[in-house]
Amino acid sequence: MNQSEMVRSEHEPLVETIDVKTHFKTARGIARAVDGVSIQIRRGQSLGVVGESGSGKTVLSRSIMGLLPRNGVIREGSVRYQGQEIGNRSDKEMQSIWGREMAMIFQDPMTSLNPVMKVGKQIAESLRKNLGMSATEALAVAEKLLHDVRIPEPARRLNQYPHELSGGMRQRVMIAIAMACGPNMLFADEPTTALDVTVQAQILELLSEQKRERNMSLLLVTHNLGVVAGYTDEIAVMYGGKVVEKAPTKTLFANTKMPYTEALLSSIPRLDQPSHSRLSTIPGRPPDIVHPPKGCRFAPRCAYVRDLCLNEEPELQQADSPDHTYRCFYPVGSPEYLERRVELTRKGELVESEGSN
Amino acid sequence: MRYYVQRVALAILLLLAVSMLTFGALNILGDPLFNILGPVAGDVNNPDSIKMIALAKKEFNLDRALPVRYFIWLSHFVRGDFGVTFSSTGQPPVSGVISERLPRTISLVFLAQMFAIFVSIPWAIIAAARAGKVSDRISTINAFFLVAMPNFAIAVILKFVFSLKLGWTPITYVADDPLSSRLFQLLLPALTIGLPVAAVYQRLLRTDLITTLQQDFILLARTKGLSKTRILFVHALRPSLFSFITVVGLNTGALIGGSIVAETVFRIPGIGSTLVESIFRNDFPVVLAIVMIVASAFVVINLLVDFAYTLIDPRVRR
Amino acid sequence: MSTTSVTPAPEDTIVRKKLGFGFWLCVTWIGLMAFIAIFAPVLPLKSPTANFLDSARGRPPYAPSWSHWFGTDKDARDVFSRSLYGARISLTVGFTAITAGFLIGGSLGVISGYYKGWIDRISSFGFIVLLSFPSLVLAILLTSLIDRNLLTVSLVLGLLSIAPVGRLARAATLQYADREFVLAARQIGATNRRIIIKEILPNVAIPMSSLALLGMAVAVVAEGGLAFLGFSVQKGITWGGLIQLGSDASKTLQDAPWIAFFPILMLFLTVLSLNFAGDRLRTFFDVKETTL
Repeated sequence: MNQSEMVRSEHEPLVETIDVKTHFKTARGIARAVDGVSIQIRRGQSLGVVGESGSGKTVLSRSIMGLLPRNGVIREGSVRYQGQEIGNRSDKEMQSIWGREMAMIFQDPMTSLNPVMKVGKQIAESLRKNLGMSATEALAVAEKLLHDVRIPEPARRLNQYPHELSGGMRQRVMIAIAMACGPNMLFADEPTTALDVTVQAQILELLSEQKRERNMSLLLVTHNLGVVAGYTDEIAVMYGGKVVEKAPTKTLFANTKMPYTEALLSSIPRLDQPSHSRLSTIPGRPPDIVHPPKGCRFAPRCAYVRDLCLNEEPELQQADSPDHTYRCFYPVGSPEYLERRVELTRKGELVESEGSN
Repeated sequence: MRYYVQRVALAILLLLAVSMLTFGALNILGDPLFNILGPVAGDVNNPDSIKMIALAKKEFNLDRALPVRYFIWLSHFVRGDFGVTFSSTGQPPVSGVISERLPRTISLVFLAQMFAIFVSIPWAIIAAARAGKVSDRISTINAFFLVAMPNFAIAVILKFVFSLKLGWTPITYVADDPLSSRLFQLLLPALTIGLPVAAVYQRLLRTDLITTLQQDFILLARTKGLSKTRILFVHALRPSLFSFITVVGLNTGALIGGSIVAETVFRIPGIGSTLVESIFRNDFPVVLAIVMIVASAFVVINLLVDFAYTLIDPRVRR
Repeated sequence: MSTTSVTPAPEDTIVRKKLGFGFWLCVTWIGLMAFIAIFAPVLPLKSPTANFLDSARGRPPYAPSWSHWFGTDKDARDVFSRSLYGARISLTVGFTAITAGFLIGGSLGVISGYYKGWIDRISSFGFIVLLSFPSLVLAILLTSLIDRNLLTVSLVLGLLSIAPVGRLARAATLQYADREFVLAARQIGATNRRIIIKEILPNVAIPMSSLALLGMAVAVVAEGGLAFLGFSVQKGITWGGLIQLGSDASKTLQDAPWIAFFPILMLFLTVLSLNFAGDRLRTFFDVKETTL
């Protein structure tokens, strides 16, 4: 890499997707799991991708990393890593990126570690393959990695099998595996969903700490807005395969535009509310991605829906602050929104600002 | 530990039941006296015959009750004394016949098993890696055809093509030949019984590999940047071997049965062909000894397979 | 800039289940063989035992020709009609054996799976004992001790199928014995016999019957092996016996391969059809391979 490229890469995003579409061929028809998503992640930055199950958030992260099956998948759009197109690369070509440049942490540590391979070897093999270490060197580094992810008695753990460790411990092992070769970009796909509540915070803390120390970029996929709030610089909310609102974390919480985001926010339990106040749920189901609704994909479930929403699909809009975009004709705070809100409150369907139903 | 003790106890119990069944079948369904003496046994009016019958009954304990005879036989059997053969040419001890011929059958079954295992594993891996593609479908059809081919038919076809038409392999087994050429002579017989078994293994392992390849930990292995070969051989193979190992153990029975056919077609003096000959010669002690040895070997192999299971899967290791 | 790769949908996206053309082809072949097995004596076939000596062609065996499609054997007997007659014993033994095995093994399995306890322990041990013999060895041992006719050979092979069939039936029964509808039937006071016949059997019988064709293939092969070694039905024509006759002497096999190869072809096609049709049926009824 020469100097001009170095300079450029400082300003250019580490990972960038342009209008990425990932469609699966199914018996019912084509499922538009990811339907035109453009995001950017700069070096050292963390992006939270939030959405309900089926919103395409997991498929998006796998599309960027190139982990999708080859058969029955239609891929379109551009995925760039350090300015280079990687969306069209074969599995073999991706091998030099996987592990070394990009790594991933999966949801369920019970099924994501090889049950018949010792923990030490599972970490070491990545080091040996990508950094050309010897077996003993790699095991020494593996021990240090286990120490880094706060696993007690790392030397002993090297010789244990995954089933001998607790769920939280296994997730730490998986983080150690992902960290092993010092990747620039880390994907974490619901890294805490399968864990006990008490362990969840510890794992997220560990992740963000590792990210800071190693100046990594992080893409955190989750269905829980509350989880990402404290650990991400920016948040993209996905719905039905599209990004419906994207903003820096603080802006998103302070200046929500999309009624869907607002609904997600009101479904998070909050400490400043009375302990028995009802949590809001979003009525209806996530959209059918094989036959998506004609207009706005959230319209059928939206409390503020109007005719336009049902017939035309909103384009990405620019909000007041430069990094804030959303897809809505009548965003939170617009006259139409306020008008409907007054009606709803009068009918008693909206009891207070955050809790409804 | 307790698991091992239980398994060994069950194996011993099985061996006892198997020996009772074999001994009982031969003594109740068969007629040991006739087997020893031939037509003389039925000639109860001739005083000479009566004398011979009495002598034979005494020598072979036929005048005792069946359970007593069973225990006498069992106590001799476990000490390696299999009695003497009923052949007219003197009476060589059965153990001599067995010890001469058993090694041939063991090497034949071993060769066939090794062939089946080492052919089926790469075959299954290649097929699973290309699951659903044309090459996989062709190999699946081939496996299906092989499974439908009885081993005696394969023996006849192999003999016809390689021994008779091409003349690559000798027609008969010569016990005095050097080891290397004897192993070469075992090649076709080993193929005969190994080929269909290889196809059985391939079908099973391919299915299990495809299931394993869909697991999350394979995806994690891919994100480490490992090569496809390493993922297949190191990550996918071992967790897919559980039912494979059980089936390898169970199919040792099919291989032993197949060795009877192969030894007969290719004229190898092993215990399989000896079993058939001894039955036609009514040589009761040889039949009893061979059936017992074969069944015991089968029970012990399946016991070992159960133990091998614990080596492959750390989760059942306790 | 945009990358598009269009590849065909993977197999598992096809949800529709069909038995398919191959299945019906195989069923046709099995049906044809069964038809020949039953009606061979009244069909316009050459006698399988007559000697068709032809002085113009010298000493038999004669190679395949218009008059003898599959040639003749050393005694100038017609291989084509003998191959067809061979289906009689092979299929009868195969069918009787698997029927006996399913009746005995099936009921033992259902009873031990339903009542559990000591009945289960005894029959399960019995199954393991039977499975401790390599099956061909046990078959040879038993057939060598009896008068070998159609019934006894079938029964010996039936005995061999008791253990595998019994274990399957037991496993299938165990799945259903504690289901809600069985518990409900017991609550309203149905007798055990009634529950077994009305509730358990229908559920166990469907997956089991889809395995019957596969079992019959095994029995036909086993009969062939016994006949090949000389342990099947003593009088009569069987595929295994025909193959043995054509391959016993190397010279016969070398000079007149048709004597062995046509019966091999018939046997192979029949076993292949039984296996294929059975395999399709099993996937159709979604019976897991691992339970076999």
